[in-house]
This record gives sequence, C-alpha cells and structure tokens, in this order.
Amino acid sequence: MSSDAGSIPAASKIGIDCRDKLVKFRRGIPKVAVAFSLIFLALNIHGISQSQPIIRLSVQDHENYSRVTIQSSQPLSSNVEKSEAYVFVKLRVNAPPRFQRESFQSQFIKSVSWSNGSGSYTLTIQTEHENYSLDSFKVQNPPRLIIDIYPDGEGGQPREFDVTETDRTSVEGQREGMNLQTPDPECIVIDPGHGGLEAGAKGKFGTLEKDLTLAISSKLADIVKQTRASNVVLTRDRDEDVSLEDRSAIANNNKASVFISIHVNGSYRKGAAGPETFFLSQDATDEDSRRVAFLENNSEDLENSIQAEDQDVIKMILWDMAQTAFLKQSSQLAEEIQSQLNLLWGTKNRGIKQAPFKVLTGVACPAVLVEVAFLSNPQEERKLLTEEYQVKVAEAIYAGLAKFLRDNSR
Amino acid sequence: MDKKKLVILASLFLCLIVLIVIYLNLGGTAKSRPAQFISSSQSESEAEKQIEPSTIILFFPSEHDSLLHREERKVIPESSLAQQAKRIILELLNGSQLGFISPIPPETRLRELYITGEGVAYVDFSREISDKHLSGSSAELSTIYSIVNSLSYNLKPIKKVFILIDGGEKKTLGGHIDLSSPFQPIYDMVAK
Repeated sequence: MSSDAGSIPAASKIGIDCRDKLVKFRRGIPKVAVAFSLIFLALNIHGISQSQPIIRLSVQDHENYSRVTIQSSQPLSSNVEKSEAYVFVKLRVNAPPRFQRESFQSQFIKSVSWSNGSGSYTLTIQTEHENYSLDSFKVQNPPRLIIDIYPDGEGGQPREFDVTETDRTSVEGQREGMNLQTPDPECIVIDPGHGGLEAGAKGKFGTLEKDLTLAISSKLADIVKQTRASNVVLTRDRDEDVSLEDRSAIANNNKASVFISIHVNGSYRKGAAGPETFFLSQDATDEDSRRVAFLENNSEDLENSIQAEDQDVIKMILWDMAQTAFLKQSSQLAEEIQSQLNLLWGTKNRGIKQAPFKVLTGVACPAVLVEVAFLSNPQEERKLLTEEYQVKVAEAIYAGLAKFLRDNSR
Repeated sequence: MDKKKLVILASLFLCLIVLIVIYLNLGGTAKSRPAQFISSSQSESEAEKQIEPSTIILFFPSEHDSLLHREERKVIPESSLAQQAKRIILELLNGSQLGFISPIPPETRLRELYITGEGVAYVDFSREISDKHLSGSSAELSTIYSIVNSLSYNLKPIKKVFILIDGGEKKTLGGHIDLSSPFQPIYDMVAK
C-alpha cells in the first residue's frame, strides 16, 4: 500500500473528470509519438546512404489532366504500364531509393504508392476509373519522369512546357488500347516475429523464438517466390529490431494482399502443445473505431499542426481501423492455415482464436498471426529445431495461404 | 549517577529503534495484505465487529488446459470500489491457493489503481509484470485475462480494464497483445 504514493499522485488526488482528461491527454501523447515515429520511419525505411537515389514524387491537377512528376537525384530508367485503373511505373535504380512525396489532392488520381520487388521498384498510381489515356516523357536537369493522365481519354493535347522541360528526351508514350502487360499486384508480406534485442519465447534447449520465426518465414518466402508470380516482402530478413508499428507500416506501404506474422508460442503450462492461428478480435477493432472517430473529429487540429508533406502520416494513423474491414477474410485465412497446421501436427482443431495482437491492428489487408507450436514444450522445441520440420511448417502455412488466395481470387 | 541514567536512556533508545525496525519490517511483509494492515491500526474488537468476510472469485490458468479456473477467496470487505479492486489484484498477486498457475510474476507490485466514471479500471503495475514475464502469446493472454476477468466478474461497475506499467502506457507485455486499448472480459476463456 505504501507504494501507492509513488505513482500518478496527481491522478489519485484529483476528481474523476480530471482523471479522464488526464487519461485522454496521456493517450494523446503516444499518438503524437506514433506520428513522429512514422515520419521518421518514412524518411528512414529504405536506409540512407550516399549512393542512394532520392526519388521525389508530386502530383498536380491541371485543367484537363493530372500530372505525376517523379524526380530523381540520379538518371532514371523506367517503364510505364497501364492496367485498368492502375498505372505501374517500374523504376530501375542501382541502389534502393529513398522515396519522398508531397501530399496531394487530385480529382483523378486516387493514390500513389510504391513497392519493391527483386531489383526493381514499382510506383503504383491508382486512378478514379479506367477510362483514361496517358502520356509519359522524361526531362533532364534534374532527371524527371513526367506522366500526364487524361481522365477522358483525350490525351496528346498540345501542352505548355516549362522552360526547364524543353530538354524532352524521350516519350514512352503509352496510349489506351496499346498492348500492355497485366502485372500481378499480389504482394505477400511475411512477418518473422520478434528480432534483435527482443528474443521472444525461449525454449528449454536455449532456442529463441526470434531465430525460429526468421527461419520459418524465410522458408515460407522462398516457397511463395517459387510457386507464385507475386511480390514477397519480409518485414525483417536478419536478426534486427523492428517495431510492431513498422511491421504493419511495411505491409501497408507495400500494398500487401495478405499479411502473415509468424510466431512460436510460450505458455506457463508445460503441457501446452500444438499450433494456433489468431486474427484480430472485434473488441480491439471497436476500440480502434472509436479512436479513429476521435481522430477524425479532431483532424482539423491535426492537419494544422502537421506539415502538409506529412499528411500521409495521418492516413497511416487512420489505418488503425483498417483491419476491421478485413476481419471476415482474416478469419478465413486463419481457418485455412490452421487446418493445414493441424494436419501437419496431428492436432485436433483447437479453433481459430481472436485476440488483440498489436502487430495486426494497423494492417490494411487480411492478416493473421500464426503460433506454429509451443517453444515452452520441449518435444515441440526439438522438432522445430530441425530443418525438415521448419520446411514442413512453411509448406503447411503456404498450403493454407494458397487455398485462401484461390478462394478469394479477384 | 549520570552514567546510570545514560545507560538507561541508551537502552530505552535502543529498544525504541528495535521496535521501529520490527514495525517497519512488519509493514514491509504486510504489503500484500493492506486491509489487515489498516485494520490493525484500529482497535481489534472494533475491527472484528465490522468484518463480515465477503467472497470473491479469482481466475487462474491451470496446468491441465488452456482455460482460466475459478478460485474462491474470503476477503475483508473494503469501503470503496477502488479499494475492492485493489484487494482483488493483491489477492491475484498472492497467487493461487489451490495449486493453479500464478500468471503474474511474483516480484510484481500494484502501484496504483483508479476507476473512471465510465467504468474503466486503470491498473498500474510495477515493471516486473513485463520484465519478468514469460514470453509467448498464450502466457500474455492468460496474465491479461486473469486480471481483466477477475476485476470485471467481481465488480460490476468495471466494464473495461486498462493495464499500465510503471505509471505509463506500454505497447505490450512481451511483444504480442496490445496494451494500448482497454480490455473487456472474455468469459469464454473460463472453464465450465
């Protein structure tokens, strides 16, 4: 009891209303912290090095077209493809680029996002509808790729060029009706749980959860790459710390189609055994909805206090709610994966579980967290240590994922 | 003569110190039984007159299944809702008397507990609840819901429970379950 005096003395002395305010205020701080850490992440996610190209993106509406300008600090090699309401811009650069973008409001361009594949980087421009034509060309000093999008298919109208744009070198004209490849925008994001200082569960034989999750995730990534023509992104590919917010941000930045977080369980019960697959609980999303409602009601303040170029950060915070829209699909995905893991481990179906997992709350696509087995169970630990079982677990998860993707193919 | 007085004074002083030390030690060990500690400052008979033990139900994980199990306990009734809530948490911290698993690391202390008008209980634990916690989703879930269910089940005005650590909001206990939102009880986790 004597320890009572040590904590939150102010809160214990003032009235309940004040406490509520205090609590709201306290809860406000982490949001600002999240905002700033997301800004920091956005600036640092690709790492900063001297040879790293900086790619700056801006969107401007003109009278009868919208212009996307991709400015690079190094010469650009690119390829522009149109597919329905999407324009895919593949950029070939020597080193992973650092992307910067200005916030924009456009009547015709809904969103611009980027993702990285093997060696190439793709900017995805989403338009309001598929009935448009586009014109793209390069200009120098500094190197820029300019893409003009004409909403009503009336491209190629004479336009005024800025003086700096007179050095027009090439036009990679892409017109509606031309033969265009249909790229596969499917992106599977695999999240090896824990990492770095955060080791996760520990086994009797000294096995660390973070090592097992990385081993299984890498194997799963390999299987997906070999089997499907989809992008695969790992939230970490080595033993390093990645915050839980960053993991969901990586999924969202890559426009993930599916997010799978791989974990190994730990329990106080020595007898606890078998796989478990979780998706986010309704409770958590209810709470998020309320938080988002609060954010939306107060978004004017936020917009005024956050600089224009960081406006996207607000959208990222609003992604807190995103998982709500995917709960049904997430439960389907959980079911498919769990039934495959049950086959592998010979376990009875323990049922799909729901819990408020931090890493799932902000993910804007079907998302599950797989506890492949119990590291606190020495028998399961021993199995998980073998390469053979790691492959089997990865294969089982893939089988569940593939079935889910088949059933949900667009 | 003066010497004798001095000796008496010194021994009296020594006795006083010993008494203080004993008193402080008792205070230290009684930290998990605050109600009795408080009542001991009243006269024994007066305290006994007031005491009509009430029954609370605590929820603990068990070695046999992944569910939470009920454990009845008689406690001295407390005056306020917050005091009753503190009592429940302190009993949880004491661990099970029926051989169930104690899901909260034994080093953990309850720092503070307060309840808002909307029925959210803010329970502030010392850092050991996270630092000494066994890592794993199942372990985190059983700790969180033994706290949340125990509070909500016994005290109806408590609708939700927010877990704080060292006076602040923490992301998770051990990298899994989100602590940044309050929890509602899940009675599906309780053994029938």
